[in-house]
Amino acid sequence: MTSVASIFTFLTKRRGGLLTVIGLIFVLTLFGVIVSDKFGTYSNAVNILEQSTPLAIVSLGQTLVIITGGIDLSIGSMVSLASVLLSGLTAGDPVMMYVAIVTILVLGGLVGIINAGASIYLRVHPLIVTLGTGAILQGITLLYTQTPIGKMPKGFDELAYGRVLGLPLGAVFTIVVFVVTAVFLRKVPLGRYIYATGDDAVGAQLMGLPRRKVLFVAYGFCGMMAAVASIFLVARLGAGQPYTGQNFTLTSITPVVVGGTLLSGGRGGVIGTLMGVYLVSLLNNLLNFLSLSTHYQLIVQGLIVIIAVSVYVENKRKV
Amino acid sequence: MLKKVLNFALVAGLAATSVTTAFAQDAEKTGYAGAPRTMLWSTTPSTIMDTTQYKKDGPYVIGFSNASISNSWRVGMLASIQQAAHDNADQIKQMIITDANDDPAKQVSDVQDLISRGVDLLIVSAATAEALDAIVTRAYEAGIPVVLVDRRITSENFTTFITASDYVYGHMSAQWMVEKLGGKGNIVMLPGMAGVSVAVNRIAAANEVFANYPDIKVLDMQYTDWSPAKGKQVMAALIQKYGTDINGVWNDHGLQGSGAIEAMVEAGWTDLPPITCADLNGCVKLAVQNKEPAFNYDYPPAMGGLAVKVGLDILAGKPVPHQYEMSVDVAITKGDETTSVKADKWIEDYARLDKPNDLILSTGIPDYDPTTFSVEFPQ
Repeated sequence: MTSVASIFTFLTKRRGGLLTVIGLIFVLTLFGVIVSDKFGTYSNAVNILEQSTPLAIVSLGQTLVIITGGIDLSIGSMVSLASVLLSGLTAGDPVMMYVAIVTILVLGGLVGIINAGASIYLRVHPLIVTLGTGAILQGITLLYTQTPIGKMPKGFDELAYGRVLGLPLGAVFTIVVFVVTAVFLRKVPLGRYIYATGDDAVGAQLMGLPRRKVLFVAYGFCGMMAAVASIFLVARLGAGQPYTGQNFTLTSITPVVVGGTLLSGGRGGVIGTLMGVYLVSLLNNLLNFLSLSTHYQLIVQGLIVIIAVSVYVENKRKV
Repeated sequence: MLKKVLNFALVAGLAATSVTTAFAQDAEKTGYAGAPRTMLWSTTPSTIMDTTQYKKDGPYVIGFSNASISNSWRVGMLASIQQAAHDNADQIKQMIITDANDDPAKQVSDVQDLISRGVDLLIVSAATAEALDAIVTRAYEAGIPVVLVDRRITSENFTTFITASDYVYGHMSAQWMVEKLGGKGNIVMLPGMAGVSVAVNRIAAANEVFANYPDIKVLDMQYTDWSPAKGKQVMAALIQKYGTDINGVWNDHGLQGSGAIEAMVEAGWTDLPPITCADLNGCVKLAVQNKEPAFNYDYPPAMGGLAVKVGLDILAGKPVPHQYEMSVDVAITKGDETTSVKADKWIEDYARLDKPNDLILSTGIPDYDPTTFSVEFPQ
């Protein structure tokens, strides 16, 4: 095991993390093409991109929060609440749809700001704060509805299944928001403060960096991304459902750590997360092609998280 | 004289024999094997689907997207599908089964993956009707024949839906209970979960019947989450509240029914009131052991296997009904048939006294045991 870990460490040294993930994607694709003649087709590639949209958007928000050294465990419940409000308020009416979209985006941002505020002013670790808000949001969701609710105007599912230049609409949107966020993190001062806050919170504050503002932005963005993800999810599923986001709390963390963002904050980036999302989606697709039961998919995902975290922790210690 | 006596003896003997035969026939009701009566008795025309466009030579690749195996009924249905894949292995090249763990988003991805794998036929048991609608519609419109089983989608964009009727359960069980009580008495209703279609439909149908009888009074209705433990707890509370004023116990399923019987036995009741059961061995077994008049009408997990067989019919180009109702046996305890509701089987023969209470009946697999079931099929 030590030798395996040290090989990983060698491969992931410095910026090698991203290369490792891309390498894994390549190896898995090659393996898939060998075991099934239907795997390497254009339609399956598009299929994987299409499936990964909601996860990618949720993980993007989670990445920013984790870079600040925090975590958002309310994200899954936020997705559920936003999804039932979106289709519930819309109820098939195209005008109400815009009202509903604005409502959930504002609500998502607000919940993020509350998460940040509670951890700053109550001095409670974000893990506990967001665990609490997550439970509260799930409760509100279930009080609102216990069954799938409402419906979207005709043609809304094009958002999930439509194509732009042969690519899924959602995938194009995903790439655009990821690139914009990456540029923001590297080029805009506030973006760089996010890293500084995560790297050394006390130091950042002593240097006069706006730590509170950074946290409000990161958590607010994360909540808003949960709402955006719910829009794509509702397009895919036809209606909001009270448990639809449940799995995102954990699965949104997997691509972040796989992509090389450290749970301790300060290091990493969103492009790594995007590659992590594709790796996870590819893996689930491949496991379906291998006719392996869902229960193995859960085990594999769990193993990936643990291995990824252990590899990067090792990495940081040595740097 | 002697001849007369002999003749008399002969006639008497014959009569006795025929009486015994009549009893023997009574005792050997083996169940109903004909076409679904819900279809035979339907007063509206069935929609028949032309499937010639799907006709192709085998062996076939079949994809089954399952919502989950999160309760023993669903485990039974999966077993029934695997058994059918085994029985028809000569026509099936590959049977790909995915499980969505009750997550609709995952099930949509599963269906997409099955389409990518180029399945000749798609079988889907939807996690929710709304969530699977868009993707199943797309598969169907892309020319893949779709068989839905147990749980459907909201639109009509599929080839056939295999099911059994909740309304028939509600009507028959309530009618039997009313007649068993002679049109007069107090009933407690123990349905499963508020808002779930099975419970909603069965309650509505039963209430339609009860409403026709002014002397039938529904004392109380309490949800039981389809749990034997909760059923027992709820029934114990009702016994505290109403005592022997309870003349009948209506359940929408056998899961809580078994718990309700346990509660009555523990309360020291000896002359147990009529009860309704479905699917679960525990309910009918306890009814037999405690000599309680009972009615049972299953929602058979064998519909999984039927989905495979109907799917193969579609790939052979045979016409199939758009809604395919399964044949279900009415089972009643001996001597408890009523004017409107006759037995196809006796519960005494149907209940498995030698098997555990949590066994799900009607999987169509002889001696089905979920702990040991395993069958080879092309994967």
